[in-house]
Amino acid sequence: MTRKQTDLGIPVGESDLLESVQEKVRACMQCGTCSGSCANAFAMDLTPRHLWRLAQLGETEEIFNSKTFYLCSACYYCTLRCPRGLKLTETMGALKRLAADQGIKKHKQSSNFYDAFIKTVERYGRVREIEFINRYFFSLKDPFLPLGFTSLGLKLMRKGKISLQLPILVPIKDDKGKVKYFEGRFDKLFRKVEELEARS
Amino acid sequence: MKKKIGSTLVVGSGISGIRSALDMAEQGYQVTLIDKEPHLGGVLTQLDYQFPTDHCGMCKMLPLVERDSSSQYCLRKGLFHENIDIMLSTELVAMEGEPGKFQVTLRQKSSIVDQERCIGCGECARVCPVEAPDPFNGGLTDRKAIYLPVPHNIPNAYVVDLDACTHCGECEKICPTHAIDFGKEERKKFRILVVDDELIVRDSLKEWLLDEGFDVDMAESGTEALEKMSKEHFHLKLLDIKMPGMDGVEVLKRAKEIRPDLPVVMMTAYATVETAVEAMKIGAHDYLMKPFDPDNLIPLIVNLYHDIQSAGVKEMEVGSVILAGGFDSYDPSTGKDTYGYGLFPNVVTSLQFERMVSGTGPNQGKILRPSDGKEVKKIAWFQCVGSRDQQADADFCSSACCMFAIKEALLAKEKSEGQIDTTIFYMDMRTFGKDFQRYRDRAEKESGVHFERSRVHSVETTGKDDGTLRVAYADTTGTKHEEDFDLVVLAAGQRPPTGAEEVAETCGVVLNPWGFCQVEGFSLSRTSSEGVLVGGSFSGLRDISESVIQASSASLEASRLIHSKGGGLAEEVSPETGFRDVSREMPQVLAVLCKCGGTLSESADFDEISSWLEAQGSVTGVHAIDSLCTHEGWDELKETLQGNSANRILIASCMPYVYARKLRELGRSAELNPELMEVVDIRTLAFPGRDTEKEAVHQEVRAVLSMGIGKLKGMDPLPVATSRIVQKALVVGGGIAGMTAGLAIADHGFEVTLVEKAAELGGNARTLHRTIEGHSPQELLEESISKVEKHPLIRTHTGAKIIYSQGHVGNFSTSIEKEDGQGETLDHGVTVLATGGIEAKTESYSYGESEAILTQHDLEEKLAEGGVEPANLKTVAMIQCVDSREEPRNYCSRICCQSALKNALFFKKQNPETDIYIFYRDMMSYGFMETYYSEARKAGVIFVPYDVGQKPEVSVEDGRPRLSALDPILGREWLLEPDLLVLSTGVVPDAGREVAEQFGVEVNQDGFYQEAESKWRPVDFIKEGVFMCGLAHSPRSIAESVAMAEAAAQRALRILNSDRLASGSVVAEVRHSLCALCERCVAFCPYEARHHDEDEEMIVVNELMCQGCGSCAAVCPNSASVLRGYRDQQVFEVIDAALENVV
Repeated sequence: MTRKQTDLGIPVGESDLLESVQEKVRACMQCGTCSGSCANAFAMDLTPRHLWRLAQLGETEEIFNSKTFYLCSACYYCTLRCPRGLKLTETMGALKRLAADQGIKKHKQSSNFYDAFIKTVERYGRVREIEFINRYFFSLKDPFLPLGFTSLGLKLMRKGKISLQLPILVPIKDDKGKVKYFEGRFDKLFRKVEELEARS
Repeated sequence: MKKKIGSTLVVGSGISGIRSALDMAEQGYQVTLIDKEPHLGGVLTQLDYQFPTDHCGMCKMLPLVERDSSSQYCLRKGLFHENIDIMLSTELVAMEGEPGKFQVTLRQKSSIVDQERCIGCGECARVCPVEAPDPFNGGLTDRKAIYLPVPHNIPNAYVVDLDACTHCGECEKICPTHAIDFGKEERKKFRILVVDDELIVRDSLKEWLLDEGFDVDMAESGTEALEKMSKEHFHLKLLDIKMPGMDGVEVLKRAKEIRPDLPVVMMTAYATVETAVEAMKIGAHDYLMKPFDPDNLIPLIVNLYHDIQSAGVKEMEVGSVILAGGFDSYDPSTGKDTYGYGLFPNVVTSLQFERMVSGTGPNQGKILRPSDGKEVKKIAWFQCVGSRDQQADADFCSSACCMFAIKEALLAKEKSEGQIDTTIFYMDMRTFGKDFQRYRDRAEKESGVHFERSRVHSVETTGKDDGTLRVAYADTTGTKHEEDFDLVVLAAGQRPPTGAEEVAETCGVVLNPWGFCQVEGFSLSRTSSEGVLVGGSFSGLRDISESVIQASSASLEASRLIHSKGGGLAEEVSPETGFRDVSREMPQVLAVLCKCGGTLSESADFDEISSWLEAQGSVTGVHAIDSLCTHEGWDELKETLQGNSANRILIASCMPYVYARKLRELGRSAELNPELMEVVDIRTLAFPGRDTEKEAVHQEVRAVLSMGIGKLKGMDPLPVATSRIVQKALVVGGGIAGMTAGLAIADHGFEVTLVEKAAELGGNARTLHRTIEGHSPQELLEESISKVEKHPLIRTHTGAKIIYSQGHVGNFSTSIEKEDGQGETLDHGVTVLATGGIEAKTESYSYGESEAILTQHDLEEKLAEGGVEPANLKTVAMIQCVDSREEPRNYCSRICCQSALKNALFFKKQNPETDIYIFYRDMMSYGFMETYYSEARKAGVIFVPYDVGQKPEVSVEDGRPRLSALDPILGREWLLEPDLLVLSTGVVPDAGREVAEQFGVEVNQDGFYQEAESKWRPVDFIKEGVFMCGLAHSPRSIAESVAMAEAAAQRALRILNSDRLASGSVVAEVRHSLCALCERCVAFCPYEARHHDEDEEMIVVNELMCQGCGSCAAVCPNSASVLRGYRDQQVFEVIDAALENVV
């Protein structure tokens, strides 16, 4: 049985998809402190206050139709001053996660970007630009997309801002000393964290 | 002399403390009024203007009957009442005993300056080298370490700020009256025992302390210390905590056994601070932290010395205690969100701004930028700083700041003749009090104050370092703005007063989660400890009228308690002394000159003045006294008067205000009416340093002296009139307010007749089933009805109505028609009108067209009957401010937001799936009600603000309401089909207008009773003897009605308490032979004390109601109306005297 989906690709009937988000902003009284201070508000299609209002009303579709939460740069300015003590930056994060989990097409680019970024970090403990951007381009499955960035890439390379680097990976061997697979240096660490998080 | 039938202690001398003290004093109780500050008046000394009148009016709290027992000048300058003992710089430190008989211990800090001797000349402050921020001006200016707490107080004595003082002793040397004493001589006798195992600590302490003039002994162990203690006498012990063998705490315990009264100060390193705190609990006086820095340590020890040595401890027995400790202001610089307070000089708190516009403020009332003194052109007010902010641990509203901000914006407009641009940034403008909404509307529409619904995130500079502040905010639609302001005023919220916890512990009262005093049930003044009452902002910030009401409620409860215990603390009643009858004697003036300890001889020649005086016609004697303000000087005066035949006394000294109380005492001892004594100020004229020729000074002195003589010559005091009082009360209205007032009066032993027009007692409370706090009005109702019915002194007439009423304070006569149609005439001395209010009827929003459209009241009743099943409700909508807060009913009904929150929370509790929408303009969840608003938001109630120009629209289709409204945040239309639409229609007065006409009192444009003064006399009518309470005054909650009823009863009791009441000595009278009966005086009298008696064909003055203002004398075209003590001839003589001696 195929599940019905909305235009955005949100499964219909999942009314409590937003519940965790609603829980976080229910006490919002629309004072506007967050919107007045948001550094990225100029670029947002909805101000943070609008977003919380929509969350209170359960307007899932509209929320995920907006790119506001992906534009949050997590400066925590709003959280710092919210008179209701709401964890607003966290809520933005929760929306990003929900959008990624639901695989919403509109946010594919953004969630892939986040994904590519963190995967690189998992490997090296830091960003390696070339690998990160390659992962991102590959994930979009659009061969023409990277072309648009060629001149920028070359410029950066000329100035030594980025350089071609081969992936540095740690070989994992089996009992006989044969290489089974390669993994990033920090993969283990992240696996451990995941384990611990799952436990708690 | 009034009878004293019991005593009470009032802690805190702000508005509510003064109100409570005056209430009790007027009733004849002995009152001790204490304050930890060195001045009276609390925060009000700093506030010159009050909303909605924009002026002060504090003096209106002064007694109106028996007014000669109290000072009758500006209450912001000081207060004196013969039944009130005022103790400043005093704290309540212990309380024992039971209600009706508490033993309290008061501790008065030494102010170093002898308050009796200080003449306020200011020489000390001139030489003081220390500058400290002046709290009186909110820290905007500096003052010296020796200073006047309030610059305009009377009498005004200097005090020393011991924390800032360096003990240099300069002031002590220069003081002309030797009023300052740092006790350096006494220090030699002050023995300090230093106990420490480390030699270096002992030695350095000894050296430092010896330098300061103390006597020091040392001990190196606990054992040695105890041994020394048992042999010798010490005054203070400095005790180390960590010592080998016996540790400090152990030593302390044993020391307490040997010498329980020896103050012990613990010495501790950081690691043992907790132990030190523990030690304080078992009796240590204080603790000092190591390592010691002599610059900090020595002043600390010197302060301790002053604390121990000169603090007066007073123990007394009182029947009840009223806590009126007020509140502290939130300090924005301590919060997460400072808005640059403490960083940018142009960010000030509302209290600081209040000082900026004050004539006694830093720039004499000119509004200048603190950063550079430039004129201010644009001001922003930020509301809710430290209120309604969970990050500042403040899930409450501070109730008064919104009105405060509007007032300040209007003041800024007024002071700048409209030139200053004013913007108020707010979340909800809480204009819930009587007349507040119209005040706001006037500010917005007439004065151009801009209101912006937005909370500002932070304040930044423009980057140019010019002091201008940049404010970024998002308006309701989400558009971002950046605006520059010269000044930002933060509406700093309320915090509990410093020391609240200690007071609570001492008195055994419970505090609420935010540290304010918790009140019980439906009372606003009862605490968890019987006999301990609370008044004013100590139980949460409130405006003046609410404070005054609550303070009177507290004094009523205090009085009721003392009364129920039989008033067992009766003091001796001293018999009233008669005055000599001098009316047939020629005026003989005895002039008494005070030489002010010789300070005046430099600029004035007393012998010359004396001989000039002796040459004056009616002066029969001149007597010079060295200093009249000392006990010796005063006794000398008394002696002089003994057997002296003079019948007028002229005292030439200083500060005439101060003498009111002393003259009464002098009058008694000399058997001469104090009205025949006059005090004139020669000290100001003759004080050295005026750079004026001696002869010029003499001429000025002669002028004031001859003016005094002129006034005294014309004095012909009559014995003060007294009026008989019918000691019975009539209460109209048998709701909660009426019953409460009736019971309160009857509990004091006076007969009460309660008249209710309905067939049953109870009024509105009959239909209320629960309050938002969860209390049951029905229980209160049952209890009240049963008490009223059982009370032997209360007669109740239900189904009765008022026919006619006449008379004046003390003697009213009212006819009523009883249920059986029979008439009855009642004689009573006071009237309490508690005629109540009802829910307003409405035709708006299709009310009446569908069963699903209800008012909040309808809903309440339906819920009680089970007519609404919450489980079946999918959507509920509520609309606030129906027909309210716009003309013609332009006032907030105050209780509707609570009702809506209460019912919304009830629905959510019964069925969390119900969608609830509340359409509101400003949520008026003032005070601690804010928690319920937060609660409702958390429970998922959707709140939609609407503008009065764009109200929700309701239509009915197939019997179901359809509601469309605009959501201003998202900017879109809503369409709801609620199962229930609940309208908050507000409150209108019930019978106000007719009853008001019958009793000859006023109503306001909305039909609510018009109080004499909205802030200071909230339960009085202009017509003395008639009082109001409950919904008939203005919309209010049950607890607020109860408090008001108690306040009204309190006001009534001060009249009922005696069988005769004395008027003031200065009252108006009519010379009937000259009177043309034009009645202009009747129209002008602001106290309604005059009327035209048509039978006798004359204008009659009610001497009890007359306050001696003199308006009648001024308007009378025939000079037929005269003011006793200010007759024309007498005043002309004074003017002549002044002109004759003009320089």
